[in-house]
Amino acid sequence: MDDPLLRIRGLTMTARTARGPARILSDIHLDIGRGRILGVVGESGSGKSSLASCLLRLLPPNLERLEGSVDLAGTDLLSLPEPAMAALRGTRIAMVFQDPMSALNPVFTIGTQMVDVARRRAPGLTRAQALAKAEAMLARVAIPDPRARLAAYPHQLSGGMRQRVVIAMALLAEPELLLADEPTTALDATVEAQIVALLDDLRRDIAGSIVLISHHLGLVAQLCDDLCVMYAGTVVETGPTAAVLAAPAHPYTRALLACEIEAGDEGRLASIPGEVPDPVAPAQGCVFAPRCARAEPRCHAEPPLLRDIAPGRRAACHFPGAVP
Amino acid sequence: MGAGGARYLAGRLLTSLLIVFGAMLLLFALSALVPGDPAATLLGPQATPEFAARFVREMGLDRPLHERLWLFLSNVLTGNLGVDVLSGRPVAGLVLSVLPSTVILTFSAIGLAVLAGVPLGIFAATHRGSVADNVLAILSVAFIAVPSFVVAILLLLVFSLWLDWLPVLGGGDASDPIDQAKRLILPALALALGWIGFIARLVRSSMLEVMAEPYIRTARAYGLPERIVTYKYALKNACIPTLAILGLGIGRLLGGAVLVEIVFARPGLGRLIYDAISVRNFPVVQGSVLVVVVLFVVVNLLVDLSYAAIDPRLRDQGRGGAAR
Repeated sequence: MDDPLLRIRGLTMTARTARGPARILSDIHLDIGRGRILGVVGESGSGKSSLASCLLRLLPPNLERLEGSVDLAGTDLLSLPEPAMAALRGTRIAMVFQDPMSALNPVFTIGTQMVDVARRRAPGLTRAQALAKAEAMLARVAIPDPRARLAAYPHQLSGGMRQRVVIAMALLAEPELLLADEPTTALDATVEAQIVALLDDLRRDIAGSIVLISHHLGLVAQLCDDLCVMYAGTVVETGPTAAVLAAPAHPYTRALLACEIEAGDEGRLASIPGEVPDPVAPAQGCVFAPRCARAEPRCHAEPPLLRDIAPGRRAACHFPGAVP
Repeated sequence: MGAGGARYLAGRLLTSLLIVFGAMLLLFALSALVPGDPAATLLGPQATPEFAARFVREMGLDRPLHERLWLFLSNVLTGNLGVDVLSGRPVAGLVLSVLPSTVILTFSAIGLAVLAGVPLGIFAATHRGSVADNVLAILSVAFIAVPSFVVAILLLLVFSLWLDWLPVLGGGDASDPIDQAKRLILPALALALGWIGFIARLVRSSMLEVMAEPYIRTARAYGLPERIVTYKYALKNACIPTLAILGLGIGRLLGGAVLVEIVFARPGLGRLIYDAISVRNFPVVQGSVLVVVVLFVVVNLLVDLSYAAIDPRLRDQGRGGAAR
């Protein structure tokens, strides 16, 4: 990828746990192209959300070590002093959180919260101008009677409506990089479909790049240009969505795809035999080897590096599947 | 205020009335059920039988219980709290003459406790684990543990007797507000000190709890200044549990005021009740305790209402589902 917006190199994150340091992310290499939507998929605990928190640098209190670099158009986010990093949040980077029930402050109106975000983005705005802008954004995310909704409190809206509000807030920030962490997981299936349709509709309006985190491969397939498959804190495969789904190179991606087709919405990723490796005592070889049907002695001994397997495609497997 | 707000208000009013009614029954029971002959207790052994009989008749003590209860309830409803059997003055007048002094003392104390406790609690929460936080923790617990009459005696010794900065005893000259204010400082401080510690601990723990909520993460993810995150988005949520405790605390404070008023020889409800109890002057005990109960209930009603003003979810309680 030439001149990506975001270039992640060697990102490694460890956290303190009661049982000792746990490896949450190990040696992540990832590029996010300008104006593209990257889908990050993986099971719970694969490090997807931790990756997002590194990009925003809102790190968990039990963080032990953070290494590598996250380069946003020439600025290394990990080495920025905190005030400079805070200046990027809400202006160049914004985030849509997983659970719209708890992402909005219960004791302030939607209008107050949106006005604060709008005026943070454009400090010159008056309250009235900011409210007008917020109203326009609520209309943009198809909230009926947006003016009345500005005076509502979060608990007065349904989950789907709240997620629309959260998306409208992200649009107000007009970020270069929008992170969306499981934006539909907390919603029921019909509402989820509506939000997916909304995101699909909005993708043309959003000038920046989007990172969409999900454990739902179908959602990613529908919305994303590129795909990044994560497993146990590592990236196991990346590439254009269509190409990866058509011919997955990594056995884990194949297993994911098979689960999605077999189990539909219910079992999602749960039906791969075996367990996710223990982050406190990581295995010596390939992280997926213990669950891989085709593992050979080399897989248990030596971790495979993420390497080019075809133009624009990379996989971390000693024996990647044939790619056309 | 919507229908939910009106229902909330009506519910709180009804509860308050029930509490006052219950207190009246208990107070009546106190005078009716205390063992021994009230006339003998009140008049002492020297009273002649004729005088005692007249006293019993005048007090209505010879009538059946249900008649006396009815008389007591209907008298209270018309503002007649009975007559002080010793001085012959109406109890309502006695109570009203000392009520302002106690109300001023109690509310100065709670005001002082809030003004000092809330900022200390916020400071401790935002500097969690620092030396200052630990020092504050020790001081707070020490303040909470020492009873207010001990603090009162200490303050009296140090500031009035040794340093001679402040006047010693009494409520001060009624026509001289400055003298009255000076004489308020030590009693209010004695009463407030434990509450400063208590409120500081309470605000600290609610702030820490709120700061870990996802909506605070949202505010930070949009780059809102830490000042706004702490004092606007977090503090309003942290106020809710603090307010609830303050309402209950008024009752404890009124109890503490009794002892502090005695130590500082201040006129007040506390002194009035104490003196009345020591001579078994039941009408005065009944009347002044009833006023204390009403005061407590009114304050809690106000707290409940301000609670609803802060938390919109309470206003909508029982209003049914959210809009889709």
